[in-house]
Amino acid sequence: MKVLLFGLIAERAGTPTLELSAASTNELKVRLAEHIEGLAALTYAIAVDHRMVIGNMPLNGHEEVAVLPPFAGG
Amino acid sequence: MMPTIRMNDVKTHRKRDIFVEGPIDPAFIAASIAKHATRTDIGSHEIFLGQVRADVIDGRTVEAIEYSTYRDMALERMTAIREEAFTKWPGMTCLHVHHSLGTIKAGELCFMVFASAPHRHSAREAVAWVVDRIKADLPIFGKEIVEGGGHIWKRNT
Repeated sequence: MKVLLFGLIAERAGTPTLELSAASTNELKVRLAEHIEGLAALTYAIAVDHRMVIGNMPLNGHEEVAVLPPFAGG
Repeated sequence: MMPTIRMNDVKTHRKRDIFVEGPIDPAFIAASIAKHATRTDIGSHEIFLGQVRADVIDGRTVEAIEYSTYRDMALERMTAIREEAFTKWPGMTCLHVHHSLGTIKAGELCFMVFASAPHRHSAREAVAWVVDRIKADLPIFGKEIVEGGGHIWKRNT
């Protein structure tokens, strides 16, 4: 699946998107850590279809998945 | 004779774009206020304006903030906030929100929340609530550009 990256996360990854496969958001976090150096030390959230995920959530590969650093609007 | 439908009676909240490229021009704000002159049922306008502050971080002054967003999610969240605001303050006549994207220099305006209502209380409460919700819920990211070239990623607390 295509994973959208934003802000600091995109900067660290050196790209605004990653192509990864994962069956759940927990597995996605493992895959992300393999691709983004120092990710474990960063604060981020996963959004699936524009909703923030709390805990773990299964993924079927057709969702819009995004990795979001802390918000800074206003 | 057909009944007259006032704007206030038709509260459909389509997904509108709140984002503007670059700073918010004070002349745009003045024009926004002027547009309400025909709505004589309005008795109160409440406006919040966010301005980029030249914070000093580790001895280096912030010169600008470069804003970016996850646009689709932000606009979806904004539509939900707008609907909730009109549910909480049904007397509110209208609500206008704009947020900048791109590089906004210290001293320039980057955020506007503008509510109008027949009376002051609902407009005032709605603006304060909407500002807080936007800061907490909208995926907007800010890169603080400091003097000398480096940057620090801003986070709302």
